[in-house]
Amino acid sequence: MSKARVGADVLVCPVERSSVPRRGHPRHTAWLRHAAAILLSAAREIFDESAYARFLRRTQMASSPDAYAAFRQEHEALKARRPRCC
Amino acid sequence: MNGLTKALAWLLLAMLGAFALSAIALHRGEQINAMWLVLAAVCTYALGYRFYSKFVAAKLLSLDAQRATPAERLDNGRDFVPTNKWVVFGHHFAAIAGPGPLVGPVLAAQFGYLPGILWILIGAIFAGCVQDFVILLFSVRRDGKSLTEMAREEIGRLGGFVAYVAILSIIVILLGAAALIVVNALKSSPWGVFTIAMTIPIALLMGIYVRRLRPGKVLESSLLGFVLVMLAIWGGQWISQSSVVAPWFTWTAPVLAIVIIIYGFAASALPVWLLLAPRDYLSTFVKLGTIAMLAAGIVALRPALHMPPLTRFVDGSGPVFAGKIFPFAFITIACGAISGFHSLISSGTTPKMIRREPETRMVGYGAMMAESMVAVMATIAACVLQPGTYFAINSPAGVVGQAPEAAAATISSWGFPVTAGEMHALAQAVGEQTLFNRTGGAPAFAVGMAHIFSSSLGGQAVMAIWYHFAIMFEALFILTVLDAGTRVGRFMIQDALGHISRPIGRTSWYPSIFVTSALIVGAWGSFLWQGVKDPLGGINSLWPLFGISNQLLATVALCVATTIIIKMGKARFSPVTLVPLAWLVAVTFTASWHKMFDPNPRIGFLAHARQLASSAVRSHEVSRLIFNDRLDAAVTGLLMFLVALILLESALLWVRVLSGHRTAEIRETPFVMTRFAAEEQG
Repeated sequence: MSKARVGADVLVCPVERSSVPRRGHPRHTAWLRHAAAILLSAAREIFDESAYARFLRRTQMASSPDAYAAFRQEHEALKARRPRCC
Repeated sequence: MNGLTKALAWLLLAMLGAFALSAIALHRGEQINAMWLVLAAVCTYALGYRFYSKFVAAKLLSLDAQRATPAERLDNGRDFVPTNKWVVFGHHFAAIAGPGPLVGPVLAAQFGYLPGILWILIGAIFAGCVQDFVILLFSVRRDGKSLTEMAREEIGRLGGFVAYVAILSIIVILLGAAALIVVNALKSSPWGVFTIAMTIPIALLMGIYVRRLRPGKVLESSLLGFVLVMLAIWGGQWISQSSVVAPWFTWTAPVLAIVIIIYGFAASALPVWLLLAPRDYLSTFVKLGTIAMLAAGIVALRPALHMPPLTRFVDGSGPVFAGKIFPFAFITIACGAISGFHSLISSGTTPKMIRREPETRMVGYGAMMAESMVAVMATIAACVLQPGTYFAINSPAGVVGQAPEAAAATISSWGFPVTAGEMHALAQAVGEQTLFNRTGGAPAFAVGMAHIFSSSLGGQAVMAIWYHFAIMFEALFILTVLDAGTRVGRFMIQDALGHISRPIGRTSWYPSIFVTSALIVGAWGSFLWQGVKDPLGGINSLWPLFGISNQLLATVALCVATTIIIKMGKARFSPVTLVPLAWLVAVTFTASWHKMFDPNPRIGFLAHARQLASSAVRSHEVSRLIFNDRLDAAVTGLLMFLVALILLESALLWVRVLSGHRTAEIRETPFVMTRFAAEEQG
């Protein structure tokens, strides 16, 4: 599987879809885990948690109230011009 | 699975879909189960995606897996970020899903479930999904340019100007109509007002949590906010039953309108991010959760539809809104089948996240199918109600009368029996004082949703909780649409006026912020006020106006798409966008004409103004209503004129290109080989 940059570190796409079931991890369980990981990644992207993680990596800051305030300032300037759909 | 097995599987699916559709269409005089609608929708979407979107992707757009997208080439970790296709799908769906696909189908249910469901399915597959898909791909090939920029570059300066005016108009009309839906849902409802009021301290608490206690943990704070909102809904019943506290939260429509107008201005002009940002997250959380819950509820409970497939109101005499099936059903459903607004999202954030070109198919076409499914669920929520109940909730006092007994008698005389006692009992069950004349679609949707859930989850005892949950969900979401839309409209005005006066263009200069915020709030506020004061309920005039402007914006998007297709030398495949374009032109222009010039005062703005002018009483109120009618007619005419201009300019360009009088020059970004393909192979 490629190193899919799933919204940066959003994930982590940890599950490989192998055609050979692993012991204790039948294929359907792996599929479920994969689906759950994707859902969580989508949620983190929608709720800007991934954007914050990318910001931290780009600015090489550690997560803190000040870092989050700086992120909000940058992010809100981008977000303010996005229309909300009807 | 070999080729023959696959072909047989698809054939079976097609037969199943055809069987479900015929079951929907041919049942007369008996109830059908909602699962037939779900089955027909799922089969139609599967076939549409597998065959039609594949045809569009391969033949028309020639999606190129080797071509680097702007997310890859311009990756900056901020707005340009190559992202997993499922994540982009979720992000795009969350951005396009709004109140439109919930409200439009509920209103259109006055014709019965059949016209709505057919247009939602056919319109989505052949028009809405195609529009979202092609605009997304064309934006990806132009470094994520917006619809306005593409219109200006590919059609001409006039095209860009028309797109700008259309977008600003739709924002103004949408906000006016959306605010009216909130007003009609919350008027005289202490429980609803209390719940929405409680979202303010809850959002502030979420803001503190996410900024101070657990920086960046938005999902956690949204979950916390959701639990608190549920507690607020639960606690709201005591507020509504308290003779001391209930009057504090019992507001009339004009008072609610004024409060919402002040809220819109404050949200646009003042730095209230501590409130708005967490509430935005909370509303998204609730919206996605509710949609998922409604889908699960319908599938698990399989409710029966009580609305007939077709009602007598196909003749245009409907009480919810006046006008015949053609063109008004199509204008009313709008977003569930095709929404011009989606072209703004498809040429906004999403193209900057697409990792590989072929993924535009799943994101653009697929997310619109999901949105269309939301519209199917809204149709089901409206049609599980007894028709008499549906019409009692959605009919304005100006049509059925103010007194409950008179309204019930009028609705029963149409062949949809309902009594004042039944409506009173229903209002009591959902914790409201009355459900008569609650126009706007939101209360009917909420009652339908409460009806579906209460039949198993908690029973009648918690019907009021479900009803207020649905009202809270719609109101909360619409309020975030209001504040975001007001801000976007303010930026658009500032950008335009900045060409005349540079200081006004500075988005951080407070005098400019106040003036432009006042302009945009004044514009949608006047539509809201007009709706609140309208004896016909407001939605009768505002929702068609919104539908017309939305579909006209889709017309602009399809003009841009067709122009690019012809310039690409793919004219023989241009019917893919040209046919929906022609249909939309027929629908929107016919609807606009009726809204302006129809001699029936319930349909035509000018006929209504003439009727008022000829009445014996000529008060200030009547003069204002006449002015409003003329203003609505002028706005409709202006929109129609502008779109006719862009159509003409586009058509002239197509003729010149096709006849060889003009070189076809497309403004795509030059090809760059993607590195992702090599990575995948390696």
